[in-house]
Amino acid sequence: MKVLYANIEDVMREAAARWTLLAYFLLSTVFILIFASAINLDIVDGALAGAKLFGKDVTMPADHSISIEKLVLGFESGFSVVLYFLCTFLAIFATAHLVPRMQEKGTIDLYLSRPVSRIKLLLSRYVAGLILAGSNVVYLLGSIWLIVMWKTHVVHPRFFVASAVILLVIATLLAFAFLVGVVTSSTAVSIMTTYGLFFFALMLVGHDRIAAAVSKEWQAWLINTMYWILPKTAELGQAVIAFVSGEQAPERLASVLTPAPFLTTAAFGLVCLALASWCFQRKEF
Amino acid sequence: MSVPAIEVVALHKVYRSTLGRTITALDGVDLSVGEGELFGLLGPNGAGKTTAVKILLGLTRATEGSARIAGLPVANPESRRRVGYLPEGHKIPGYLTARQTLSIFGRMSGLDGATINRRAGELLETLRISQWIDVRVKKFSKGMTQRLGLAAALIHSPNVLLLDEPTDGVDPVGRREIRDLLREEAKNGTAVLLNSHLLSEIELTCDRVAVLRAGKLAAHGTVEELTRGSAKYKMVAAPVDDSLIAAFRDTGAGVERVNGHVLLSVNDVQHLNALVDQLRARGGILSELSPVRSTLEDVFVDLVRA
Repeated sequence: MKVLYANIEDVMREAAARWTLLAYFLLSTVFILIFASAINLDIVDGALAGAKLFGKDVTMPADHSISIEKLVLGFESGFSVVLYFLCTFLAIFATAHLVPRMQEKGTIDLYLSRPVSRIKLLLSRYVAGLILAGSNVVYLLGSIWLIVMWKTHVVHPRFFVASAVILLVIATLLAFAFLVGVVTSSTAVSIMTTYGLFFFALMLVGHDRIAAAVSKEWQAWLINTMYWILPKTAELGQAVIAFVSGEQAPERLASVLTPAPFLTTAAFGLVCLALASWCFQRKEF
Repeated sequence: MSVPAIEVVALHKVYRSTLGRTITALDGVDLSVGEGELFGLLGPNGAGKTTAVKILLGLTRATEGSARIAGLPVANPESRRRVGYLPEGHKIPGYLTARQTLSIFGRMSGLDGATINRRAGELLETLRISQWIDVRVKKFSKGMTQRLGLAAALIHSPNVLLLDEPTDGVDPVGRREIRDLLREEAKNGTAVLLNSHLLSEIELTCDRVAVLRAGKLAAHGTVEELTRGSAKYKMVAAPVDDSLIAAFRDTGAGVERVNGHVLLSVNDVQHLNALVDQLRARGGILSELSPVRSTLEDVFVDLVRA
């Protein structure tokens, strides 16, 4: 535990000293403030009488068929996908440097000369990075959830709980960033490849159509294989919306709430972390 | 029999490039450093000194041979439980203060908060940087960073110290303080392996020295043994004329006139006595005869050029 605490302290102090922590939370706060000021609901006797979004009136049906609960659910499911992208991008940007910076000449010797196994050192740093990213996810989603509760008095915990799905994606991508970091010792390459993976995996949601469009069989096989191996960033984005929407989720989105995208994504992350540990263990400095 | 603090047996290290080229960094090195010993590791650039230290710390793996610290193989992280290391050109993260640095590395060495606070206070006081305890390392001078690096190496009261250029960038007063500190650590039983290019520092600090050349052990022994080995003597006598010098040279001795005295290079003590006999046979009066010790630098240069 002492090693883990030491790494958490190191990671947090570095984030604070390099303004990463401030920028990370400042950006999130700006988003929260925009959200808080953008939504104005007129609730009379517990019923929605009117609503304004970014200062513009939202047209309400004359028969008052939209309940306050429905409107909150709509807001939250819409924002959840934005938060999914925002949290993931900020997390990778704030943590991808953790391994390359530790591996710098003159610094790595200081860490490896301690009585700590390399795997324990790397995993402690991974957990420390995840805590940094996770605290921002909780801050961002938690704040917006509280603002919605404060403005509408509607308590909808699914929105906050959805942060677990976002954390799964961040944990997977961070494992990949660690693997690239261990191999290349480059922060820039870690960030670029991780973002590249995120977008490439997004495109693979249409793997059936892409495979059907390619001319050779092996190309189709390759695309389908990559789809199953790589994290399901698109499906998990949809899963966030579906989870927040609950029973109100459209059937197309609700269908992604199966174990497969979660399990294959988690498996990819675990394999990346195992490979990163193996490479770090074997690496000569 | 006590286990050596550091033990290296037939150590080989071959680096292989991606193009298949090989570089032999260490070629069968044997070393042993006992408890409380101050040991200097010397060698020109690329001789394999840093590789040897890196193998001892598990930073790189030996191709053949074995390396042990306090009897434990270096592959075992526990072997580093009682090792303090100061790498050359170390980079303590600049965002940390001295206190935070010692806290993080102390905890990574398994210390609790109270012990870290006590040791940090003692060490920073001894190394004269206690007034900078809450200043970020990026504001430190090179000498101060070096002192902090030494404090980080000592925070967990190690039994073995591996120091790479510990006085680099430190002023002369600081160097003496560091020397005193290392002697004190050795007196308390800590084995100190000093890797430095500053031969005068090694000469002043170490009990024993090993010289590495092209990955092999070129010489080892006490500083006294290494610097005495050249069998040179200073002779002050009169009269010493050219015929006497020619007679000395006829015996195979090296003779050099230096500032009114004669510098003799002889094979052994018998050879020296034979020259004294010649001097006396010619009626010469001997007023001084003393061995001339080479400096460690002389020995080092001779070994490296050989």
